Amino acid sequence: MANANATDGSAPEALDPERLVWMYTQMYRIREFEERVKSTFTEHPGILRGHTHLADGAEASIVGSVAALAPGDQIVTTYRCHGYPIALGTDTKRMMAEIYGKEGGLCGGLGGSMHLYDVDRGFLGGSGIVAQAIPHATGAAWAAQIRRQGQVVVCFFGDGASKQGAFHESLNIASLWKLPIVYVMENNRYQASTRTDQEDANAASGEPLSTKAKAYSMEGVTVDGADPVAVHATLADALARARSGTGPTLVESLVYRLSAHGNLIAPPGVPLNYPEHEAIAIFGNRDEYEAALRGDPVPRFRHQLVTEGTLSAADADAIEQAAREEIDEAQRFALDSPWPAPDSGLAYVYA
Amino acid sequence: MAGGGTGDPGGGAGDPGGGAEDPGGGALDAAAAERLLATMWRIRAFEERLEPLKRSSMVHGLTHLSIGQEAVAAGVCTQLRDDEPVYSNHRANGHALAKGVDMGKLLAELMGRADGCCRGLGGSMHVVDVAHGFLGATGVVGGNLPFAVGSALASRLLGRARPAVVFFGDGAAQTGIFAETVNLASLWQVPVVFVCENNGFAEFTPRSAHTRVERVSDLAAPFCVAARTVDGNDVVEVHGAFADALSQARAGSGPYLLECLTHRLSGHYVGDPGGYRAALEDEAWRARDPIARLVRQAAAAGWFDAEHARAAEAAARDEVEAAVAFALGSPFPDPSIPAELTYARS
Amino acid sequence: MSHVIPYIAAIQEAIREEMERDERVLYFGQNMATSPEDPFLKQFGPDRVRVTPISETAEIGMATGAAVAGYRPVVELYMAEFLLVATDQVVNEGTRFHFMSKGAVSVPMVMVAGYGFTAGWAGQHTGSIYGMFMGVPGLKVALPSTPADAKGLMTTAIRDDNPVLFFQNYLLLLEEGEVPDGEHAVPFGVADVKRSGSDLTLVATGYAVHTALGAAESLARRGVSVEVIDPRTIAPLDVDTILSSVARTGHLVLVDQATRHSSVAAVIAAEVAELGFSSLEAPISMVTALDSSIAYSKPVEEFVLPDEHKVVRAVEASLGLAPASS
Repeated sequence: MANANATDGSAPEALDPERLVWMYTQMYRIREFEERVKSTFTEHPGILRGHTHLADGAEASIVGSVAALAPGDQIVTTYRCHGYPIALGTDTKRMMAEIYGKEGGLCGGLGGSMHLYDVDRGFLGGSGIVAQAIPHATGAAWAAQIRRQGQVVVCFFGDGASKQGAFHESLNIASLWKLPIVYVMENNRYQASTRTDQEDANAASGEPLSTKAKAYSMEGVTVDGADPVAVHATLADALARARSGTGPTLVESLVYRLSAHGNLIAPPGVPLNYPEHEAIAIFGNRDEYEAALRGDPVPRFRHQLVTEGTLSAADADAIEQAAREEIDEAQRFALDSPWPAPDSGLAYVYA
Repeated sequence: MAGGGTGDPGGGAGDPGGGAEDPGGGALDAAAAERLLATMWRIRAFEERLEPLKRSSMVHGLTHLSIGQEAVAAGVCTQLRDDEPVYSNHRANGHALAKGVDMGKLLAELMGRADGCCRGLGGSMHVVDVAHGFLGATGVVGGNLPFAVGSALASRLLGRARPAVVFFGDGAAQTGIFAETVNLASLWQVPVVFVCENNGFAEFTPRSAHTRVERVSDLAAPFCVAARTVDGNDVVEVHGAFADALSQARAGSGPYLLECLTHRLSGHYVGDPGGYRAALEDEAWRARDPIARLVRQAAAAGWFDAEHARAAEAAARDEVEAAVAFALGSPFPDPSIPAELTYARS
Repeated sequence: MSHVIPYIAAIQEAIREEMERDERVLYFGQNMATSPEDPFLKQFGPDRVRVTPISETAEIGMATGAAVAGYRPVVELYMAEFLLVATDQVVNEGTRFHFMSKGAVSVPMVMVAGYGFTAGWAGQHTGSIYGMFMGVPGLKVALPSTPADAKGLMTTAIRDDNPVLFFQNYLLLLEEGEVPDGEHAVPFGVADVKRSGSDLTLVATGYAVHTALGAAESLARRGVSVEVIDPRTIAPLDVDTILSSVARTGHLVLVDQATRHSSVAAVIAAEVAELGFSSLEAPISMVTALDSSIAYSKPVEEFVLPDEHKVVRAVEASLGLAPASS
C-alpha cells in the first residue's frame, strides 16, 4: 500500500524544488486527462455513457493534499474522483479505459467514471452518492487506528455533502474516537446547480464552512485551494495531528470547478456534452466565471514556479508536452481496448 | 390543505386558539405557577400509576416514563395554544398531558382500547391528538425533528405564523437528521423551537460515549442558531426561557434551541434493568425533584402554600383513578380496522 | 455433543468464538459495551468492541470502510427498522463495491438487526422487513429460527466475504435449544427440513417456522403428514430443496410474518409456479401478515399476523379436508 509518489510526510517541512516541479507535473497531467475526457464527448460521441464529473480547477487542492501523504496513507473520495489516482501514480491508460467502459479498464468497465479503485496505491474508491463515502473513510480510519501503523485516511468530499446526515454522524464519531483522519471539503461554491448560500446556513451567514467543525469539537481550517503549497502545508499539519492521535481536522479547501457539475443528463439518443458552467448557464454570472478562469490554478502555479526560477519555461513546456503524449496514449489504449464480455460482471456479484 | 387537516390543528388565521386558556409568555404569576404545579402532578401521578398497570400487563408493549422530567413538559406545553403544534418522541406521556390530551383517552390508548386517542392502534410511542395540536410522537430517534420544521413552514405559507415545538433527547443530536433539519431551519429562518431534554443518557448509553461536545446547545452556533441551556428541573426557569423563545418565534424569528438539563428517575423503559445507572445518585436528584422545588419557590414568592400543593396532588391522583376506570371500561377495538386505515380515503 | 442455550446466547457465542479465532473481527453498535464489565469489552478490548452514538448511516458506513480496509466488522443495529434510516448504506454502497471494482475490493461485514417485535411495539418497531432486502445483489440475508441455526449462520456470516444482513427475531431471543458443541457453521443457501412429511410442504421463514411447526403438529394428530422446510437464508435461497419436496407432496403452503407483497413467500411462490408447476395438485397458498401496519392493541395486532389456526385452515383448503371443529 505504498504511495510511490508520496513524500515520507513525517513533518510539514518546506517543499524542495524537485517536489514543486513534481506537483506541477501532476497538476498538468490531471488537467490534460480531464480535458481529454471532456473532449471525448464531441470527438468520439457515444463512447462515454452515464454521468462524468471533472476535477478541472481543483488540481492544486488535489495535488497539494496528495503531496502531503505518507506511504501507507489511504484516501477515499467522491464520484469526482479522476484527479487523486493520477497524482497517486495510477496508470492513466487503465483509468481512461475504465471511463470508456472497456475491458482494459481498472475495473474491467464494471465501475465507470464514478467508481475507480486502486487499493494498492491506497485509493479505496468512493461513492456515487453524495456524502456516503464519508462514513467509509471514517471506518477505514478506525481500521488504521486499530492497526497502529501510523496510517492516516484523507476523506475528500464537496460542500454539498456537509448537509448530509452522514457527514454529521461521521465527524462526531471521528472526533469522539480521535480517529486518524483528515476531512477535506472541496468547497467549489456550487452543490450541483445550487449556490452554497442557497443551501447552507453558514454560507448564507457569510461564515466559512469550516465553522462546522465546532459542532464536533474538532479543528477546522479554511485554505486557498488554488494554492498547492498552502494546501500542502495545511494538510501536513492536519496529517501530523491525525498521526499523533490528537484527532481529526476539517479542512475547507476553496476551489472553483471550471467545468459544469457533470455532463448533460439526457435519455439515450440525445448527444451528451458538457454544458456551460452553472454560474453562466443558471445564474447568468459570466463575470464570476471569467474571474475564476483568470485565477486558474494550473497556469498560476506554472507562472509562480517560472517567476521564482524553480522551473524554466522550456522545462514547463516539456512537462506539458509529455503529459499530452501520455494522455494521447491513454486515450488510444482506451479506444483500442475491447468491450468486456456481456456476462463478465456476473462473477463479481458476490466475493 | 384540502382533504388533509392533520397538519392544521386549531382554527383559521383569526382564531385566537381553541385552548381553554391562552397563557402567553412572560413572568410567572400565581395562576401560572398553579397551572405548572397541577400539570406536573398530573404527569407524575399518571406515570406512577402506569408502572403497576404495565407490570400487570394492562398496558403492553414498551412504555417510556418521564418521572423526574415533568418540569420540561409543563414549562413548555402549558404556554402553547392548541394551534401551535408539538411533536414528541417515544417518551411522550408528559408532553401529551401537558399539551391538553385527555388523560382518560391517553390511558385508554396505552391500554390498547377503542376509546384511546388513536383507537388503540398507536400506543405509547405513537400518540396523536390533532385537536390539541399534539401532532404525534414517533418511535425512531430524531425522526420527528423535520416534521416540526415542515409544520412551521406550512403555517407560515398559510399566513398564520404559528411556531412549532419539537422535543428531542440528547441522543438525537448525533443523528444525521438533526444536522439536516437544523441547517434548513436556520437557512430558511423557520420559527421552530427545538426543545432538548438532555437527561444524560441516550437510551442506555451515557453522553460521554456519544460525543465530545459538552452541551447540546453547543451544536446550535455552528448552524447559526440561537440557543440556551437551562436547569430542566426548575420549572420556573424552563417556563421563563421558553416564554422568551416562544415570543420571538411568534414574532416570526428563526429557530431556537432550548436545552433543558434533566434526569430520568426511572429507566429507559418500564422493566429496564437499570444496571447502567448504578453510578448515578438518584438521591441527589430526588433533592432536585421539580415538583418539590416549585412548592418551595411558591412559598417564597407567595404563589401558593403547601396545602394547595397537597390538594393539587390529590386532584391529580383522583383524575388518574377516573382515567383508569374510563380506560378499563373501554372495549378493545374491532380487529379489522387496519384494512380501513392502511390508506387514507381521498 | 451439544448444549442448551437461548437463541440470543447462541448468536453471542458465535460472535465471541469468531472474534477469538480471527482478530480482524470487530463488534460495535448502539447500546452495547457501555460498562467496563461488558464481557466482550473485557475479553477483546476497546479497539475491537465499541459503543456508538445513534448514527446508523455512520455505523453501517464505517463497517463498510473498515471492511474495505481489511477488517470484518459486525454491526449491532438493535432493531431492523433502524436499517431504514441508513438505507443507502445497506443496499447501495458496500453491496456494490466488489462488483464495481471487478473484485479489487470486498466488504466482509455483518449487520445484525432484530425484527418482528410483535408484543405491543406498535407501528414502527414490529415489522418483518427482510423481504425488502432479498433482491439486493451482493447482499446476503440470514434468517435463523433456532439457536443452532442462529449460531451456525452467524459463524458463516462473519466468515463470508460479503455484506450479510442477519435478522434475529425478538420473540425468539430467550427460546432455548440445542446447539452443537465446538465449531458450528451452517452453510448459506441450504434449507433445513425441520419436520418430514408426505402430504403437504410448508415453507416458513424465521419466526414463522415455529408457527408452521405448531400447525404441523396439530395436523399430525389428525393423520395429516406435513413437511416443514426452513430456507434459513433467503439470499441465497435454496429453491431446489423446496421443489423436490413439492414434487413428492404436490401441495405447497407458505408461512411468513412479512406483509404479503413484501414476503419471502411471494418469491418462493413465483419460483415454484415457474419451475415446479407440473408437481402442483392444488394452488399455492400464502399465509402472511396482511398488507397493513402492525397495531399496538393486542387483538388488532393478532388479526394481521399469521398464526397456527390460519395455517391449519390453509392446509385444509389445499388438501380438500373438512375444517376441524375448533
